[in-house]
Amino acid sequence: MPEATAKTNADYWMADLSQAVDCTVMARGVEVVYEMGSEKIHALRGVDAQIFTGEYISIMGPSGSGKTTFFNVVGGLMKPTAGSVYIDEIDIAQLDAGELAWLRCRKIGYIFQSYNIVKVMTALENVMLPMLFAGVPQDEAQYRAVEILTRVGLGERVLHTPKELSGGQQQRVAIARAFANRPAIILADEPTANLDMRTGEEIIALMKEMNREQGVTVICSTHDHKMLDISDRIMWMEDGLVKKLARRDEVDIQIDEFEEEHRE
Amino acid sequence: MSRNLWEIKRLRLKPELIWSMALSSLRLRMGRTLLTLLTVSACCAFLLFLLTAPISDDPADRQMWGLMITLSLLVSVAGVLNTMLMSVTQRYREIGTIKCLGALDSFVLLSVMLESALLGLTGALLGIVGGLILSFGMGLLDAGAGVFAAAYWSGLGWKILVSAFVGLALTTLGAAFPAAVAARMPPVEAMRGEK
Repeated sequence: MPEATAKTNADYWMADLSQAVDCTVMARGVEVVYEMGSEKIHALRGVDAQIFTGEYISIMGPSGSGKTTFFNVVGGLMKPTAGSVYIDEIDIAQLDAGELAWLRCRKIGYIFQSYNIVKVMTALENVMLPMLFAGVPQDEAQYRAVEILTRVGLGERVLHTPKELSGGQQQRVAIARAFANRPAIILADEPTANLDMRTGEEIIALMKEMNREQGVTVICSTHDHKMLDISDRIMWMEDGLVKKLARRDEVDIQIDEFEEEHRE
Repeated sequence: MSRNLWEIKRLRLKPELIWSMALSSLRLRMGRTLLTLLTVSACCAFLLFLLTAPISDDPADRQMWGLMITLSLLVSVAGVLNTMLMSVTQRYREIGTIKCLGALDSFVLLSVMLESALLGLTGALLGIVGGLILSFGMGLLDAGAGVFAAAYWSGLGWKILVSAFVGLALTTLGAAFPAAVAARMPPVEAMRGEK
């Protein structure tokens, strides 16, 4: 790896402070330890990261690298064992269960690998659900849900149930649902892993457009190289640590190198 | 550097959402719902029948009937427990997902309890109708035309109430544990990839 581009976390930490950019997520010394019987598993060993408002950041790493755990911590799904995570300057460790539910509802939109559309509900009801949880009146929620579903290209299918929708269409519903409450962060966990290549590309393009239009921060874990191309920054994780965090234009060659290193 | 610190709020419970969640869950698992309905209603019918039908006053007989009622209640509770536990474990990812979307623990708890209570209420109503028909037939054999006398049916009101209460109570009892399991389930479950 060329010396010039091999920056450490600290370099970015300093650079970020001097730029004084708004951060949506700030992680400091985040450690997560799972206890499996008598064994302790260190999933994260002190992760520092800043994620800027409005950026599209992709997280890469082999399985077992702590990628998913980092994701869950940032998404308010799990509290760190040590260290702290700030979302819009709020330390999530300070929140109780009810406040965390509010955070998940209003501040974070989730997109899952397996879509997770609620089976018994139509596309419209799925998109309305987070808005209703948030206290938006029924009529307004319905109006907005139709609007968002039209935006993602499903205006003709608002009353379809998941059974009547293809994988790509279900993922579009999931994207509409994630954006419904105009969150600060979109967390996408391998959103294209279950889709064929062309559909995957369409979903990636849609996520990027929504990211630009709404200025929402998108955090996406992926193995998909096409996903990296549209990212603002890419973060590599390995063995519970951030191995590298770099801007897209700095990493053209290194993606292949990194892949080479980790090919088993 | 200006940042707007957002105000942390709490979400409020939405009763109408709990309703639609419980109803749609019952509808989706119609087959098993009907089976449990049958168990509950059979139990209620049996109970009402024993309360109203002319049974001998022999203590040994009474003891045997009492034992049978207890057994049928236990079977019914186990049936409800099994149904609701299945309903909850099948929906692990779905419950995780709605928690990610902002469902409170109490929302999940109440929707599972309501689902079961609806089951219990319907089962009890059916059971009462069934029990009355059985009692009437038995009475017709036993007392002939006497079954049409008002005195024959004395205390029917509270007997029906007791049966309905027992039906509702046993479904609530059976649903308590599965509902607690569902409510405590961490939202991280939604992230698991496999179906």
